[in-house]
Amino acid sequence: MMKRTTALLVAAAMTTASLTGCGGNAGNGGDESTNPEVKSSGGSSSDEMVFAWWGNQTRNERTQQVIDLYMEENPGVSIDGQPSQFADYWNKLATAAAGNALPDVIQMDYKYLDQYVENGLLLDLTPYVDNGILDVSDCNQDVIDSGKVDGQFYAVCIGISSPALVYSKTVAEQAGVEIKNNMNIEEFLDTCRKIYETTGYKTNIAYTDNEPFMEYLLRAKDVTLFEDGKMGGEAADYVEYFELYETGLKEEWLIDPAVFVERTKTTELNPLVYGTSPENMSWCTFHLTNQYSVLVGSAAEGNELGMLTWPSDNVKKSNYLKPSQFLAVSKDAKNPEEAVKFVNWFNNSVECNNILLAERGIPVSKSVSEAVSEKLPEPDQEAIAFVNEIVSPNSSKVNPPADAGASGVIDLLNQLEEQVCYGQITAQEAGTRLFEEGNQMMAK
Amino acid sequence: MSARRANPHFRAELKKEGKKMNQIRRFANQKHTAGYVFTLPFIIGFFMFMVVPMGMSLYYSFCDYDILSPPVFSGLDNFRHMLTDDTFFQTLKVTFFFAFVSVPLKLLFALLVALLLLKNTRLSGFYRAAYYLPSIIGGSVAVSVLWKRMFSSDGVINSLLQMVGINCTVSWLGNTETAIWVLILLVVWQFGSSMLIFLSALKQVPASLYEAAKVDGAGPIYRFFKITLPLLTPTIFFNLVMQMISGFLAFTQCYIITEGRPLNSTLLYTVYMYQQSFEFYNTGYGAALAWVMLAIIGLITLVLFATKKFWVYEGGF
Repeated sequence: MMKRTTALLVAAAMTTASLTGCGGNAGNGGDESTNPEVKSSGGSSSDEMVFAWWGNQTRNERTQQVIDLYMEENPGVSIDGQPSQFADYWNKLATAAAGNALPDVIQMDYKYLDQYVENGLLLDLTPYVDNGILDVSDCNQDVIDSGKVDGQFYAVCIGISSPALVYSKTVAEQAGVEIKNNMNIEEFLDTCRKIYETTGYKTNIAYTDNEPFMEYLLRAKDVTLFEDGKMGGEAADYVEYFELYETGLKEEWLIDPAVFVERTKTTELNPLVYGTSPENMSWCTFHLTNQYSVLVGSAAEGNELGMLTWPSDNVKKSNYLKPSQFLAVSKDAKNPEEAVKFVNWFNNSVECNNILLAERGIPVSKSVSEAVSEKLPEPDQEAIAFVNEIVSPNSSKVNPPADAGASGVIDLLNQLEEQVCYGQITAQEAGTRLFEEGNQMMAK
Repeated sequence: MSARRANPHFRAELKKEGKKMNQIRRFANQKHTAGYVFTLPFIIGFFMFMVVPMGMSLYYSFCDYDILSPPVFSGLDNFRHMLTDDTFFQTLKVTFFFAFVSVPLKLLFALLVALLLLKNTRLSGFYRAAYYLPSIIGGSVAVSVLWKRMFSSDGVINSLLQMVGINCTVSWLGNTETAIWVLILLVVWQFGSSMLIFLSALKQVPASLYEAAKVDGAGPIYRFFKITLPLLTPTIFFNLVMQMISGFLAFTQCYIITEGRPLNSTLLYTVYMYQQSFEFYNTGYGAALAWVMLAIIGLITLVLFATKKFWVYEGGF
């Protein structure tokens, strides 16, 4: 009898233990926002904020340092930094949104901004600008406006970048081709041909990073890729992009798409900087300026890199300054004012940006950008000069953020591009299918 | 206190309470109570993390749901959409091929290795552990990444082939014909757990049967097909059912190594389900796909059980 009672007690203890274990997790889940009592006893102290971002090793380390600095300067505030990889980040964020458990401070991408605002997941920051907690007076108004949706201010841009065709100066010199900014498509194709003939190096046209370049080409024709819940222009407009691949495939200077199946998609394994022979390397890559220093860092010795504008038949119309990243405050934030204060500090503090070192793009605040730029390593300074001197005077306003449904279309674009590269369909078919099926997806 | 005790009313109450305590004690001392309490953590966990999510997923499968905005009931739309979704049929094709090729191969390997390891030598314990190892680590991300490197065109496999004089520069992963085989090979390599089950079954075959057969002049091959194999059929059946189910649910290998490329030739069903749910934000459709998969696996298991009476020996030794 005694034994049985003991067993029972043990079991009861185990049950409680395991359930409190679960309870900690469940506290972050569904009921939190509807039940204020649960909220305050959610395991962590009420001042604890969560800041989530996507990034790479360098960014994660620097951001954590910045968080530590902020907590030191503001005793009583505690911030939990949660980094992820880009693709996983959005899966995680969407799931958190479904459970009403969004992080307080969210790193936002331009492409996703509309979706999150439409579903009422972000806090309107306009009142905080009005009462002075959030100071954006030192920033370019156009850039600040890119964080607005329907006239309300939801996200603070924390870095500017622009498209950049990063290329190997070494290979170009070997081939003896003249490389210049603002190439048109024909000049670009000629360069690809000549480099392949003389050096054997192949070309990677934005494979798997295709949507920005497609958008870039369409902009030259005054067509907006994603526009009011549909795809802009007509089917014929979309063929040009695929034709580049078709041409490259026929003339053999296009890099074998198999290369991309074999490699994990990281900057360090980009065919521009990684490969065993010219056969599986590319002389250029379609990137953004803020990735330039990582590429330079990954390039083998003796492979000198440079930056050019992406080719287009009308670079002025095509090119743009991209607000590369934003900070937003979620509507679930427990203490919105504290969260906004942190965002403000992130944006305006020289001390903070001296640690971040423009890794997310050029700081938006002018005084911060000036103070930081001297401290940057050379590739980053080069990138800043490129954005300010080459792109800025010869560009147009960035496209509005994409609607929901765009991610399905981008997947379709990936598939069609792959089929063109494997010789399954023609560029004509690919362009038509992208436009028609894409529009069906958007209409849903 | 004593005044209250003197109160007959209070006494009655006390008695009642005492009765209650007795009831509780009796309940606690019943044989099955401790059992229930011990299983309570599992039961509660099972409801919270299995039954409730399954119910939600069933509901979502009838909804237009994009995770970000609340689900809207849409009836059978998701299921109807499947009929016009080419990728859905493509993934079914790939998954069936994958499961029906990898599972028999895996069982064959497991059986062969189990037969080899049956002999008791000094190192057999070590070999058993060594061959079981892939089953533990094989499903991990690290091994998938390694596998991807091994089969790239400048990877170990091609280098080894070149060493033995075959000038091979095939891109195993970049080719629609070969990519799926890389995944199949990885799964077949994880034959350890089936192997252990075979091993223990093999040991249970009574030696007297073999001795009798030997006396009657049966050779080793004849003995294997007439004694070992028939007596193993229940184990084969068990392994087949279990591996078939896990074959249809394979995810990591495809997700890490190929992501379905090239040309969706390696896109497994579960990965497509994941993409729809969390990458394209068609979570309702993803949930519907999950329930169709459940039906398919259920059906296949049912068919396997129906064939049982034709080939599984269930008599004694």
